[in-house]
Amino acid sequence: MPASAPEPGRALIEVREVGKTYARRGVPVVAVGSVSFPIFDGEFLTLLGPSGCGKSTLLMMLAGLETPSSGGIMFDGERLSGARRDVGIVFQDATLLPWKSALENVLFPLRILRQKLAPHRRAAAQLLDSVGLAGAHDRKPAELSGGMRQRVAICRALVHHPRLLLMDEPFSALDAITRDQMNLLLAELLERHRRTVVFVTHSIREAVFLSDRILVLGGRPSGVMADVRVPFGRGRSMDLGDTAEFNLLCRELRGTVEVAHRIAEESPQ
Amino acid sequence: MSGVSETGVNEADAGFVPLASSGRASDRAAAVLLPCGFAVLVLLGWEIGVRLTHVPTVILPPPSAIFRSMWDDRAILLKHAVPTTVESAVGFLLATVLGVAIAVLITYSRPVRLALYPNLVFFQLIPKIALAPLFLIWFGIGSSSRLAFAVFIAFFPIVIATASGLMNVDANMVRLCRSLTGTEWQIFAHIRFPAALPYIFGGMKIGVTLAIIGVVIGEFITAQAGLGYLIIFATARADTTVALAAIVVLCIAGLLLFGLVAAAEHLVNRRYGVR
Repeated sequence: MPASAPEPGRALIEVREVGKTYARRGVPVVAVGSVSFPIFDGEFLTLLGPSGCGKSTLLMMLAGLETPSSGGIMFDGERLSGARRDVGIVFQDATLLPWKSALENVLFPLRILRQKLAPHRRAAAQLLDSVGLAGAHDRKPAELSGGMRQRVAICRALVHHPRLLLMDEPFSALDAITRDQMNLLLAELLERHRRTVVFVTHSIREAVFLSDRILVLGGRPSGVMADVRVPFGRGRSMDLGDTAEFNLLCRELRGTVEVAHRIAEESPQ
Repeated sequence: MSGVSETGVNEADAGFVPLASSGRASDRAAAVLLPCGFAVLVLLGWEIGVRLTHVPTVILPPPSAIFRSMWDDRAILLKHAVPTTVESAVGFLLATVLGVAIAVLITYSRPVRLALYPNLVFFQLIPKIALAPLFLIWFGIGSSSRLAFAVFIAFFPIVIATASGLMNVDANMVRLCRSLTGTEWQIFAHIRFPAALPYIFGGMKIGVTLAIIGVVIGEFITAQAGLGYLIIFATARADTTVALAAIVVLCIAGLLLFGLVAAAEHLVNRRYGVR
C-alpha cells in the first residue's frame, strides 16, 4: 500500500465494535459482525464492498436511523442514540418531493428543522447555482434530468450545514459520463463546503477518485478487511485517473474486494 | 457540465408536453369536435328513426320531446333536482371526511390496519346496492336513510384509495425526515398527505358518482321528492318523456358535482402538482 498522505486530525466519530443482527423470517442475519474505526473530522471516507457487506446498514446506523445490536457509535464525544439535526443524507435516488421546485426541495430540511426559510433562500439559491442549476430553481423534479435531480439532492443535504454528510451510492443510478461529471462536481463542492463525508459505493475508481480514506468491508461475519489511506491531495482532476499511482491503488483494492466477493458468494446469507 | 444540463433539459422538455397541446391547432379542434359531432349525430339518428318508424312516445320519445319537456316542466324538475343534488353532495362530503379519517387510522395503527383493511377490500366486492332496503329498516323512510346509504357506498373507494396513497410513499423520503429528527406529524403533513392527494381525488371522483347512485336508489325505494322519485312516478304513469327529462337533469347534477371535485383537484394541483 502507498504511504499515507494527509495527516489524520481529530476523530469526529468513533465506531466501536458495532454489530448489527436482524431477524429475517425468524432467522437471525448478521448484517455487520463487529467493526471499529474512527472517522476523522473533515475526511472523505468511503465504504467499499460487495452487496450485503453491511455498508448501507452501517450508514443507517451513523444516521441514527438504526440502532447497533452491539457496540456503539461516539459522535463528537457523545454516544449516538438517535437522529441528529446536523447530519445530511443523499440516497441512490434523488428522492425529491415531486410537487416542490428545486429550490423548495433544497430548503426542505430547514422546514423539518423548523427554521425560518427566508434568511436561507439566498444561500440555497447560491448552492444550486454552484452545481450548475442556475436556471432551474423553479423547475419541478419531473422537469429535471437524473443528474440534475441528484445535484438538487446534494444541495439539500448541505443546506443546513451538517457536520456529517452521508451518501449511499449516490451516483450508481446515473450513466457513466454523468457519473464522472458528478464525481468532479462533488469534489469541487466539498472544496468550498468542507465536510466530513461517509460515502458508500461499489465502484473502486469512484472511491479512489473521491476519498481520503477507503474501508473495504466484507467477510462472514462482515468486518473491515482493509483500511487504506489514499495518497492524493484534494483538488483532483479527471486526469488523475490516467496516472500509474491511481491505477495501481485501484488494482490493489480490487484484489481485496474480489476476496470479499468470493467470500460473499461462497457463504450467502 | 453545461452539456449535461442541455441534454437534461431537452429530454425533460420532450417528456412532459401535455397531450392536448402536443399537436397542431387542428388536432385540438378535432379532440373537441369529434365527440360532440358524434353525440349530435346519435341524437339526430334517434330523432329521425323515431319519427320514421312511428314508435309510440311511451316506448321512446324523440329527443326534441324530451328537451321540450325539460323546458315546460322546468319548475317540477328543478324542485326535484334540489333534494337529490343536496343529499348526494352531503353524503359525498361525509363519505370523504370519514374515508380520509379511517384511511389515516389504517396507515398509522397496525392493529387497525390488520383488522380493517382486508375487510374493506372484501366489502368492496359485495354488490352494496342489495343492502339499500335494509337501510330503510335501520334509518327510516326519511332523508337520513338515503344519506346513510350514499355515505355507505361512496365511502369504500375513498378509504381504499386514500390508504394506498398514504402508505405508498418513498421510504427514503421518510428516512430523510426522521434523520433530521422530524416528527410523525411533519412526515404526515409534508410527505404522506401531499403524496396521497392524487389518490384521494381519484377515490373522490368515484365516490361522488356512487353517492348520487346511492341517493337515487333510496329515492326509488321510498321518497316523496327527488329525481329518483320523479322517474318512478313518471314511469308508473307511462310518462316516458318526463322520466327521460328527469334522467337528463340527473346527468347534469352529476356533472356539476363531478365538476366541482375536478375543479378542487385542479386548484390543489397548482400547489401540489408535479409539473
